[in-house]
Amino acid sequence: MTWRSTINEVPFIPESRIEKDADALIGEYALRPNTSIGPPVPVDELLEVQLELQCEIADLRAEFECDDVLGMIWFNSKLVKIDRSLDPHERPHLLGRFRFTLAHEVGHWRLHRQYYREDPSQARLFDGKGRPAFVCRSSEKPPVEWQADTFASYLLMPAKMMIAAWDKWKGNRDPVILQTLPSAAPVAGRDMDDVRLERFCKPLAEQFEVSSEAMRIRLEKLGFLLREAPNTLF
Amino acid sequence: MAGSNKPFGAYLREKRLAKGYSLRRFAELLGVSPTYLSHVEQGKVDSPLTAKLAHRAAELLGESPDELVSMAGRVPEDLPKIIQSQPGAIPGLLRATKGLTPEQIGKLMDRAKRMQDEGDAP
Repeated sequence: MTWRSTINEVPFIPESRIEKDADALIGEYALRPNTSIGPPVPVDELLEVQLELQCEIADLRAEFECDDVLGMIWFNSKLVKIDRSLDPHERPHLLGRFRFTLAHEVGHWRLHRQYYREDPSQARLFDGKGRPAFVCRSSEKPPVEWQADTFASYLLMPAKMMIAAWDKWKGNRDPVILQTLPSAAPVAGRDMDDVRLERFCKPLAEQFEVSSEAMRIRLEKLGFLLREAPNTLF
Repeated sequence: MAGSNKPFGAYLREKRLAKGYSLRRFAELLGVSPTYLSHVEQGKVDSPLTAKLAHRAAELLGESPDELVSMAGRVPEDLPKIIQSQPGAIPGLLRATKGLTPEQIGKLMDRAKRMQDEGDAP
């Protein structure tokens, strides 16, 4: 059985708009009394307390006969379900992926719910909740899933917070270049350079409670991590 | 909380969110996994929480421990000992309160309290 998004026609959304929306959500939450914002960014609270989305953890892989599903969202019933394989209590090393999946579903809620129209013929499926608007899988990345991933990255690692953390960690804003890092032992199926960079990222990844991979991608985007020394004329 | 018609799990979720606790944070404070707590909230477990956990949940939520423990389908942990301390009297006393209104039971409790304060208790 193949489950896919029920939304196919979502327009291109510029990254700057996605970043602005993620920052705005953090700003809205920060207005609550006695609230200080991370790192780590309190994505669980953003989802449940700020946006009032219901969060459930369930055995989605068995329930939906789909072996790589991570999360689902139902817009009408404001329900998010996360697969129990990501439960960080049972698998502490997956805390970053659990949080990223929550942030990803928040991304769907913020970016895509306006494009959703329920198909009346499917409204009575799944205990009357209707068909989920998005079924998020690790193996499928159509444009809407990329948008939600991008939102998650900006939400969990906002530029302002990242720059402050980098300053505190490194003491300057000079980029770190791959060749200057110690080599890493090979990991099956992984690019050696990625592994090397991610090992360097680990302390910051732990501080932000994201995976080293997510942190490496964010630092590269911010220009703090470079794969080659920049060419300079002088 | 008395008289809440909501299932235990839905009630627990409502109170948790009112206090601003996320599922994962509240599970951490209770010392259980988020998956288990989520199943409790969805009513997908046969026995919701142990009396000890329901008591802890009530403390965190500012609710009456006795009532939340009862809603969880459990008996407050101190009751079996109290019953067994006077097996000939306490069960009869409890049966005698069956059908009384909360106000009437309140009066009985006040009376018992006065007797304890006056030193009539053994």
